[in-house]
Amino acid sequence: MNHQPFETWLLEDKLINPEQRRELHSHLRTCAYCAALLETGKALSSVKMISPALGFTARFQARLAAQKVADRRRRFWGAVLFVAGGLAILMWVAGPYLASFLASPATWISALVEWGIYLITTLQAMAQAGSVLWHVVPGFVSPFAWMVLLSAFAGISLLWSVSIWRFVRVPRGR
Amino acid sequence: MNDELAWVLQAQQGSDEAFTRLVEEHQTHVYNLCYRMLGEPEAAEDAAQESFLRAYQNLHRYDRNRPFATWLLSIAAHYCIDRLRRRKLSMFSLDAENDEGTTFEIADPASPDPEVESVKREEHDRLHILLKGLDETDRAAVIMRYWYDFSEIEIAESLRLTVSAVKSRLHRSRRALAGMWQEETPRTRAERRIHESPAF
Repeated sequence: MNHQPFETWLLEDKLINPEQRRELHSHLRTCAYCAALLETGKALSSVKMISPALGFTARFQARLAAQKVADRRRRFWGAVLFVAGGLAILMWVAGPYLASFLASPATWISALVEWGIYLITTLQAMAQAGSVLWHVVPGFVSPFAWMVLLSAFAGISLLWSVSIWRFVRVPRGR
Repeated sequence: MNDELAWVLQAQQGSDEAFTRLVEEHQTHVYNLCYRMLGEPEAAEDAAQESFLRAYQNLHRYDRNRPFATWLLSIAAHYCIDRLRRRKLSMFSLDAENDEGTTFEIADPASPDPEVESVKREEHDRLHILLKGLDETDRAAVIMRYWYDFSEIEIAESLRLTVSAVKSRLHRSRRALAGMWQEETPRTRAERRIHESPAF
């Protein structure tokens, strides 16, 4: 009998019958490799668990507490850096305008009022146009098309809500 | 609902006390895996602590349909594999590290004979050294198979491998271990051992 079946029996820890066991014993006397395979298998099957030094849980609690403090500190400094960076960018972008506003406030205030009036009149015009469309369009669109449109709108709203929920939810166990 | 699942649920809701109970319950398993993977007690202690910390931070990802121990050991195994890879990159030799140290082995009451115990301890030490010669993923597969009685499916899930890859890695590791064992064992001793303790 060749070497292969013995190696397979040993590698897969197969149950073998008495005849096969006898064959294996005689093979082991001549094959040092299979003998080593058997010995390592036996050593692996009788391995013991090793425990950590006493006080492992207490050391973990201390490490967890230190980690929480480090996380809080990192979040605090992250927030400080974010706000300071935002303010710096804002100052860099708005600085020239602020200087110009401080130089001639009256010009700026009149420009601001003008812009506000433009915005309000634009919104009023858009509202009027919308109202006209609201009364006219339903006559042109079939009920089926309305159903499709409303379903699509509902689907998109659901997708949007789920996405927002996934982004903002706070994972538990932290 | 068993105690462990109750602790997991409480820990997921933010109870540090419940997580501490889980640490107490699983510390030996996690530490032992890390010790067998990394080969020295200080690194194993650090890796076991880090594994529990990662489990704590990722508790919301735990799938309750999976055994908690399997999930935890999978975190520990991945951490140790990463650590061994980093160690390899930094050219740090395993051989230069200390062995044993502050750890102790759980006594086996079934084997009171000191000579038998001594031979067994010697074999375990040899095996521990030989394990260092295996590739890190192979080493994790062998440890899970023989120390934790994981099935090939559980090992595959834990190490993110296919079942056939696990099988092939286990066979390759067993062959490699046998090869290294054979190189180290004096021929006479190997022959004596065969005659003393027949197979199966």
